[in-house]
Amino acid sequence: MLWAVLAASPLAAAEPLRPPASRPLPGSVHALVGGRVVSQPGRVLEKGTILLTDGRIAAVGPDAAIPPNAEIHDMTGTTIYAGFIDAHLSLSAKGSAHPAATAEIDAPQQNRLTSGAGMGFPGAPSAAGGPSAHSVVTPERRMSREYAPEPKELESLRAEGFTAANLVPDRGVIRGTSTLASLSSSAADAAILRPDTFQHIALDVPAPEEGSGSKPEAYPGSLMGVIAVIRQTFCDAQFQAADTAHYVAHPNERPRPAFNESLEALMPAARQTLPVLFEPGGVLMVDRAMQLSREFGLQPIILATGQEWRRLDLARAAGVPFIVPVDFPEAVKLPEADDWVALSADQLRAWDQAPSNPALLRREGLEIALTTHGLGKPNRFRHNVRLAIARGLSESDALAALTTAPAKMCGLSDQLGRIEPGLLAHLTVVENGGYFDPEARVREVWIDGQRFASPLPAEEKKPAKKPAEAEKPDQPDPKKELEALRAQLTAAPAQQDRGPLLAPPAIFIKSATVWTSGPQGRLDGASVLIVDGKVRAVGAIDPVDVPTSALVIDRPGIHVTPGLIDCHSHSMIIGGVNEGTLPSTAMVRIGDVVNSEVETIHQQLAGGLTTANLLHGSANPIGGQSCVIKLRDGASPEELKLKGAPGGIKFALGENVKQSNWGDNFRSRFPQSRMGVPAFHTNRFTAAKQYAEALASQQRLGGPPVRRDLELETLAEIIRGERLIHCHSYRQDEVLVFLRVMESFGVRVATLQHILEGYKVADEIAKHGAGASSFSDWWAYKLEVFDAIPDAGSIMRERGVLVSFNSDSSDHARRLNFEAAKAVKYGATPEAEALKFVTLNPAKQLGIDQWVGSLEPGKDGDFAIWSGHPFDTRSVCQETWIDGKQYFQIDAAQRRAAARQKERLALVAKAKTLSGDAPADPATAKAQAKFFYRALEDRQSHRCLDCCLDHQMPWKN
Amino acid sequence: MEKLSLSLATLLALTAAAAADTLLLRGATVHTVSHGILAPGDVLIKDERIAAVAAHLDQPADRTLDLQGLHLFPGLISAATDLGLVEISGIRASLDDQETGEFTPEIQSWTAVNPDSELIPVTRANGITHFVPVPGGKLLAGTSGLLAARGWTLEDMTLRRQTAMHLFWPDHSLNIPGPNAAEKTKSLEDQSRERLERVRTIEDFFREAEAWQKRTPGSPTVPAWEAMGPVVRGELPLMIHAQGLREIRAALQWSALRPQLRVVLEGGRDAWILAKEIAERKIPVIYSEVFALPASSADAYDVQFRAPAVLHQAGVVTAISEGLGRFSASSQRNLPYSAAQAAAFGLPPEAALAAITLIPAQIHGMGDTLGSIEPGKDASLFAATGDILDIRSVVKHLWISGVAQSLATRHTRLAERYRSRPQAK
Repeated sequence: MLWAVLAASPLAAAEPLRPPASRPLPGSVHALVGGRVVSQPGRVLEKGTILLTDGRIAAVGPDAAIPPNAEIHDMTGTTIYAGFIDAHLSLSAKGSAHPAATAEIDAPQQNRLTSGAGMGFPGAPSAAGGPSAHSVVTPERRMSREYAPEPKELESLRAEGFTAANLVPDRGVIRGTSTLASLSSSAADAAILRPDTFQHIALDVPAPEEGSGSKPEAYPGSLMGVIAVIRQTFCDAQFQAADTAHYVAHPNERPRPAFNESLEALMPAARQTLPVLFEPGGVLMVDRAMQLSREFGLQPIILATGQEWRRLDLARAAGVPFIVPVDFPEAVKLPEADDWVALSADQLRAWDQAPSNPALLRREGLEIALTTHGLGKPNRFRHNVRLAIARGLSESDALAALTTAPAKMCGLSDQLGRIEPGLLAHLTVVENGGYFDPEARVREVWIDGQRFASPLPAEEKKPAKKPAEAEKPDQPDPKKELEALRAQLTAAPAQQDRGPLLAPPAIFIKSATVWTSGPQGRLDGASVLIVDGKVRAVGAIDPVDVPTSALVIDRPGIHVTPGLIDCHSHSMIIGGVNEGTLPSTAMVRIGDVVNSEVETIHQQLAGGLTTANLLHGSANPIGGQSCVIKLRDGASPEELKLKGAPGGIKFALGENVKQSNWGDNFRSRFPQSRMGVPAFHTNRFTAAKQYAEALASQQRLGGPPVRRDLELETLAEIIRGERLIHCHSYRQDEVLVFLRVMESFGVRVATLQHILEGYKVADEIAKHGAGASSFSDWWAYKLEVFDAIPDAGSIMRERGVLVSFNSDSSDHARRLNFEAAKAVKYGATPEAEALKFVTLNPAKQLGIDQWVGSLEPGKDGDFAIWSGHPFDTRSVCQETWIDGKQYFQIDAAQRRAAARQKERLALVAKAKTLSGDAPADPATAKAQAKFFYRALEDRQSHRCLDCCLDHQMPWKN
Repeated sequence: MEKLSLSLATLLALTAAAAADTLLLRGATVHTVSHGILAPGDVLIKDERIAAVAAHLDQPADRTLDLQGLHLFPGLISAATDLGLVEISGIRASLDDQETGEFTPEIQSWTAVNPDSELIPVTRANGITHFVPVPGGKLLAGTSGLLAARGWTLEDMTLRRQTAMHLFWPDHSLNIPGPNAAEKTKSLEDQSRERLERVRTIEDFFREAEAWQKRTPGSPTVPAWEAMGPVVRGELPLMIHAQGLREIRAALQWSALRPQLRVVLEGGRDAWILAKEIAERKIPVIYSEVFALPASSADAYDVQFRAPAVLHQAGVVTAISEGLGRFSASSQRNLPYSAAQAAAFGLPPEAALAAITLIPAQIHGMGDTLGSIEPGKDASLFAATGDILDIRSVVKHLWISGVAQSLATRHTRLAERYRSRPQAK
């Protein structure tokens, strides 16, 4: 124990005289004389005196008067800062006094918090599930009740210069409140400065439980489920407040509201009296946190993911304070040369970009606080901050990020963060230069007027050859060279080669074979004029009508089609395609988890695709809400969305929803047979009707407020005709029954997806008015698709069904034109009609044909240019345009790939140079493990057709 | 029209049952594969063999079929597939494509082919006359046979019981846990050692197999070692299944030390990177990854589309297959379109056609019998309405060993049945 308490406790004045044999209390007045005082960033006193009295700063100045009772400390040669604050500190597990404190809430209550339906579904564990399951909604958890840090943890933080830290809860979704404490004592009463600092919410993929995949998981099992849980919980908090208010006004006229500790605990956050600290799992979730904050009127602070460099636009738009970790990955020496192949270009980029992240955020004008979060042991903190400074963070900003900024974020800027009379006596004293100088060392810190000396540095073993080295002062220091190399940025900016290649005011395609998919049909030798992103004219166009600013495309032999549309895609979704836990997950939204950063966008553009319907998987009879996007590569998730597209939702029937192929542990969730599916749909739609009636009655007649239920609200939208059902379906029997159940609720189904036996009941489908969105020729991969035939699309079309062909795969989405060609081959569908299977018809099915799907005046300028006939397998897509902007061009794509290859090689070379051996200390081991971190946006690429085995995919890694 | 050709096919099937018989196919565009294109050309079939091919044939024939406007191709060959071993991939009871155990060289795939599989006629209807079902497994899985897509029994179907021994190269990818993963994975150094040990297991097995072949006469029979005989003597190709760069590189390094082995690479996603070495070693590649997604975001979007062209240009004998796995059997009819995509991205069209006809025949030791329209070869060929690499082309006639085959399938039967369903009320 090298620390020593040398000075008075701030409570000395109030503390009664200690009994004999106790150590007598020293005085509580100290004068720190002769140090260089940095009272706040940019304000320096080259030689000053700081006077501390009873734990507070009493005076600061060049000649502050020193009272006679003061203990005088010589600070000559030191730099004194306001004590550093770590705004986001996770204690080690054993440093938490009550690790199981939250496992005691009774199950039904948790169930209500996490299940959108307001009740448990039989056979489907919610977060309340078994007795061993932890709830993920624990806003009532208070770190102030669990404050019991290991003395060694406090010591190691003080050694980095920290005097206060905000201790955060570290598990669950809505996690509980953090507490700001002095790092002086393990005793909560002495240490805690502010009992509740923030409410903490993690926007991340739920951590998989052990052995998951082979047994049922609790809701939420996906990122979109997590977001739905947050949304429902805040709705519940709002309801709780309204309901309680109503009860207070009508105490004898209505049922008593249930007491709910969790929702009570959430009130300060819901009422904006307590900030909410969001912990996003990736940069796209930063934006999601902001959307949720706006939706529920929260006061957000963001824990930076370290990945903000990917999309600085989203960080900038957030405009709120960021708490920024400096847990940069470190390159690892790999045993074999071929091991480097395993590192993706993205992983290497992430490693190289990481140290720039703090400076980049600051450059966007954001307020930042630096934290040791993620470092494990904090002893690399100063080293990494210096690296961040080398990448452009100013020392003054770095200092603010350790003092004034975290003090402000934690709501204690009147107590901490500056050296000013009246503030708490928290000081960080550094010798051998300023804190950010290479040789500097924290000599001591002062906390609440107590001095804590740093452990004496271990006796340095001087290498024997040191004198020899000294003789060659010109010899470059290899360590310094490596540091300089790390300080350089090699990676290209993440958005450099994304976004439109061309955005001319107008485009004139002089002469081409134009497949309009509209009333004009196929036109040979026709022109197309696009102005301001919209189709102006198609056919014979008088050159005088072409604006002089138009980009002219004049190449012989080309064919032009509308941009292709995929009515069934799972490609650009993060954190899980299925919320496959509950049988109804109508409350989850694909729109919350659109992945704008994935390479498949580029690959699908290269196949002429411009629009995709992103669907939830087929793991449950009522799946999640879908989202229609345009493939505007480089745009943010919100910018990808096709504005005005009607809302949709995924439903499913058959083997997937009855869990036929999920394994022996999945035999209890309802439904387990095709008999149960219509019963389930009837149940939920009846509940939705009753819910809508309850809402209407409450609005009409008043009375107690009705709890907003996001599942039933969504289903009520379907009943009102405001949301389109896209139903995964195969067998003719289940299809007919589903149509009849929906008809009984007055609902018209928008599309039957896959619908491989649709040809058997084509007349019934046509009469109902549902569209059919099918595979061209997939069959025999499971029992219910053994009667699938490649003529199905053609037969359905002949019998009056609106037919599209979809991909359901990131591969097939690259060649939907060839899928359409199969309708020509097997079903003898005319070519122009077959092309509509992947253009106009899916647009109609999705209710977006007023904008896309055909080349007609007034529609969006979305088109693909092909080297020949779009059904000829020798043809390739040369260009893809969306809204009159070019997003793919075949030669540019090659240049892009070449540049990326070059960048990757440079990064591998750099990483090899900088890679360290297998680490001795755990902090390095942790940093090296991060070298292999895969960003959330980079973790999955959906390839599987039928979207059923998705729950076995390793996207949770 | 569809109906007409079906009944014609049935008629031909019946008449062909009678002995000694000649059929002249007249006027089609003949894609011989071995000797270019005859446009138009005539083909004379005598019994089960091709008797003559020329721009114009004057020989008299028992029957003449006018194929003007159609294109004649040699039957396509699926060089590596699950067809015949898998019916419905989601139903375990219908799967016979995987055995347990690491070394099962005595396994022979032809023994489990279901002649009545509904998937075989569906495949055949798009021009595929022969296929090579591959036994799956963990390491050394067994041998594949080459079968015709017709026959009353599997003995009827099987042209050659053993065409190659199959070695699934062990996965060399790194096992890296996430930063917060609970499970502890082995260190990279340990993983490196384990990779070497896996390769040593293979090496040991081959060394012991070689040693066993020199045993003293009269020692007891060991079926597994016996099955290795033709492989280690270089009589039977060793088909190594590997996709990633380091697996392929490791397989090449290992096999270089055993020059007597006749190595074929199957899968080969990253083989294009090592095209030069593979060409120098004269190792044929059965490329199955045309439609695989690029493995790295630094790869061009078309890296897999182009791979066969890169291999071909480097001088590698390149076949194209649909690959193994969950959808292999049911999607086998799409074989020509993988070749077509390669052709659209640089592979010469004639090489693309050879990659699904003559080259698979040669790799599987049937190059003298199958894979091209040449006198003396087996009369397995088909007539389509256009280039078979074009999806829109429809197969109209198909012969296997001179016998016209029905093009009716489960699919055409169902289509016919439901097309005739009366309008529902």
